[in-house]
Parts: sequence; structure tokens; C-alpha cells
Amino acid sequence: MTGLITKDFLVMRKMLRSYLLMIVVYTILAYLDFFDYSFIITFVQVALSVLPISAFAYDEQSKWDRYAMSLPLGRSRVVGARYLFVLLLTLFTVAFGLAGTALLYLAHQADFLEMFVILMVSSAIGLLIPTILLPLSYKLGAERARPYLYAIVFIPVIAVVLLAKAGVLDMSMLKGMDLLAPTALAGGSALLPLAGLALLFVSYLISCRVAAGKEY
Amino acid sequence: MTNCIEIKGLCKSYGDFALKNINLTLPGGSILGLIGENGAGKTTTIKCILNLIHRDAGEITLLGYDNIREERLAKQDIGLVLDECFFSDALRPLDLDKILAPAYREWDRKLFRSYLDKFGLPEKKLIKEFSRGMKMKLSLSAALAHHPRLLILDEATAGLDPVVRDEILDEFLGFIQDEDHAILMSSHITSDLEKVADYIAYIHQGQVVLSDAKDSILDSYGRVGCTAAQLENIDPRDILRTRKGTFGCEALVGDRVAFSRKYPMLLVERTTLEDIMLFVGKGETK
Repeated sequence: MTGLITKDFLVMRKMLRSYLLMIVVYTILAYLDFFDYSFIITFVQVALSVLPISAFAYDEQSKWDRYAMSLPLGRSRVVGARYLFVLLLTLFTVAFGLAGTALLYLAHQADFLEMFVILMVSSAIGLLIPTILLPLSYKLGAERARPYLYAIVFIPVIAVVLLAKAGVLDMSMLKGMDLLAPTALAGGSALLPLAGLALLFVSYLISCRVAAGKEY
Repeated sequence: MTNCIEIKGLCKSYGDFALKNINLTLPGGSILGLIGENGAGKTTTIKCILNLIHRDAGEITLLGYDNIREERLAKQDIGLVLDECFFSDALRPLDLDKILAPAYREWDRKLFRSYLDKFGLPEKKLIKEFSRGMKMKLSLSAALAHHPRLLILDEATAGLDPVVRDEILDEFLGFIQDEDHAILMSSHITSDLEKVADYIAYIHQGQVVLSDAKDSILDSYGRVGCTAAQLENIDPRDILRTRKGTFGCEALVGDRVAFSRKYPMLLVERTTLEDIMLFVGKGETK
């Protein structure tokens, strides 16, 4: 299974290298006060969560799936490798986000709590996207699953904006979060990625079922 | 000598196409050549063997293991080369070592690198820069580097020039020297199979229409060239298939010697696997 995870990293090493470079450059820019670091964390997290779909596209191009399913691993391990790849990417981004947050907190006395909450929320979103897209990719293939990605990312945003404009959604309630104790806010937000992990596990089970019934 | 592959009563239906009651046996120390037209069912059979598709009925045993219940054990000892290279263009040959080593108990890094060296494949060059021949050699290196006992090859030599094909066929002959080893090889290039195969199975429209030792097939089958009038005088029980052309007729006979004895006026030639395929695929029964 580790071989398959290694394969995903190796196939996408160019892309990952450019992401890494981007994170480093933007962290420096945030350090110099050119950028808002929390925006960068969110951006990178969402950008990385799309990578597993690219991995599917690469696999389809080389028809790797048929070969992978011929290896002495079993279908659930092949699926599991893809999910571990997602987890490793998320862990990497969270670790990098935490390191950058700590650095900016120490250097600029930045609002650690705010950045931490944003990091946790973006991690949860970063987990939620593959949670929905991976079973779809197993079922439909990368190309046919891709439109769902846009739906997952844009429809909630557009819906929130429209509902807020129509006055249905009261955005001022978000300000109420300031009234929460910092520890409650940090603890509550830390639960979000855990919920994301639980959903990712359910998604893995669904993908295993899809892969088991599929013909390669 | 144990059987490396045993297929009993394999059936798989796709609606418009079906594999019907396939029975095949591949003894150790030998090469079984699978021939047949495009869409005849060769790849479907191989996919069933590898459990890539769900069969409707039948049993498949690979190296003594059930191919579904003991799939992982069986696949530890199988090397696979399919009709195309499944490795992403973004990879390099040495990357395959990192990818495949954890999958196989007996992955041999030294052996893999020695194959790369033997086939003249640059270790650090991107696969996208490889020719088709190089890609097939890379697939073969990866298939052999975990000391498999059974090689499964689906159109592995298709599209390769004669020099590369000969080089790869030599490798297959070397592999088979061990009595525990066997190769299942599907190919359209019947001359390759005539060169290396010990057994031939011909799949036509989802059914095995011929399965025997290659030498026995080539020694016994014959091709008769004759006129339409001569063909009319041959007992239909003495010929298997016929083909009528502008310049005369041809017939396929199952027992060349017996036919010559019975019809001394007709010339019976040795036949090739390609002839047999053409008779079955395009010919008709008398």
C-alpha cells in the first residue's frame, strides 16, 4: 500500500513542488505583511484537496487502475492508499499552517486564535471535498466527477451569499462567536477536522464498495 | 509437474458477447499461446484470471490457489505484461522500484536494475520519452523482478519490431527453463507463438474451438488446395473448414496423413496457426 501512496506523490511531484514553493513564498510575504496568512492557509488546503482528483485523472490516462488491481494487494488496499494520500496531504498542510501560524504569532503577535480557527475550518473543508469526490471518482471516473467539484465548492458559497442578501441568513450571528470563550472556540473548531475524518472514513467504505463491484 | 493455470467451465456474459464454458490448463514448464480474433474473448479470459472482472460461472486456480479466495497469494507469484504500459509518463524506471517493492514479498531490487541494464533502459529518464519497445521492456522488467512463477502476457509483443520481439521471446524461453514456471501469452502474432509456445488455445466467438499441443496441431492439421469440382468430391467428414476464392478452393483438414492416404491426387501442405485462424474466422463448413 505504501508503494501506491509513493506512486501518487511521485506522479504529482512537479505539482507538489510548485505548491510547496507557493506556500513558502506566501508565508514569507505574510511574514512581511503583504498577505493575510489565514487566506493562504485556506487557499492551499482547498487547492491540495483537489489533488486526489488529479491523481485519478493521471491514473485514467495511463490506465493504472487495471494494473493496480492486478497487484497482490486487493481492492480495498488500493482504495485505502488513495485515502491515505489525501490524509497525508491534509496533515502536511495542517502542520505547515500551524508552523506558519506559530511563526507569525511569535514574530508579529498575530491573532493566534483566529488563525487557528481558520486553519481548522479550512482543514475540515479540505477533508470534505475528497470525502464527496473520491467515491464519485471511483463510480464515474475523474472527468465525469470533476463538475461535482465545482458544485461542491461554488454552490454552498453562492447559496450563503444569496441567502444572506435575501435576509434569510443572518450573518451577524458570526459576530456572536467573539463572545465565546477562546478555549471553547479553539476546542470547537478543533472538532471540525475530526468530524471531517469520520466522514472521510465513511467515504472510504463507500469507495471500497464501489471498487468491489467495478470491472477493470 | 503441477498445473500453473486451471480454468474450468468459465462463463462471462456481457449481453452481446459471452465467454462460454472455457476450459484451459497450463502445465508447469510450458507456454500456452492464446489466439483468436479481436473481440474473441482472449482479454476477457485474462481479466477473469486476474479477477479484474466478475465471472458468471466457473473455477480458476492459479499455482494451486483459488483466484478469488486466495487472490493475494496467487498474485504474489504472477508477473503481468498487458498490451500497454500502465506506468504514468511522469515516472522514471527507478520510481517503479519504490512503487512495486512494497507490494511484493520477493521484490528483487538488484534483479530489476539488472533487467533495466540488460534491456538498455535509462534508469532516470522519464517514461514519456520511451518508445513503445522500451515501455514493453520496462513492463517486462517490472513483471520479472519479483521472481514470479507465472507470467501472464496480453498482446505483449504487439506493435514491436522483429528485433525487440525476438529479444523478448528469448527472455520468455529463458524464463520457462524452470519447470515450476509457465507463461500464458495471448497474441495476434501467431508466428511468435509458433516459435515459443508449447500449447495453443484458439478462442473464437467466446468459445475454445481448438486446444492442443502446438506440435500436434502443426503436425496433424493440413491445408488442401483444390478446384471447386475437386472440393465437391471430398467427403465432408474429411474436412473441417473450406474457403472459396477467385482462383480456387482451400480446405482445412484435421489429419493430414490420413487425408493424403485417402486422396492421393490432392496435395496437402503443412498449415500454420494463421491459416487455421483464417479458416475458422473466414471460412465455412462444407
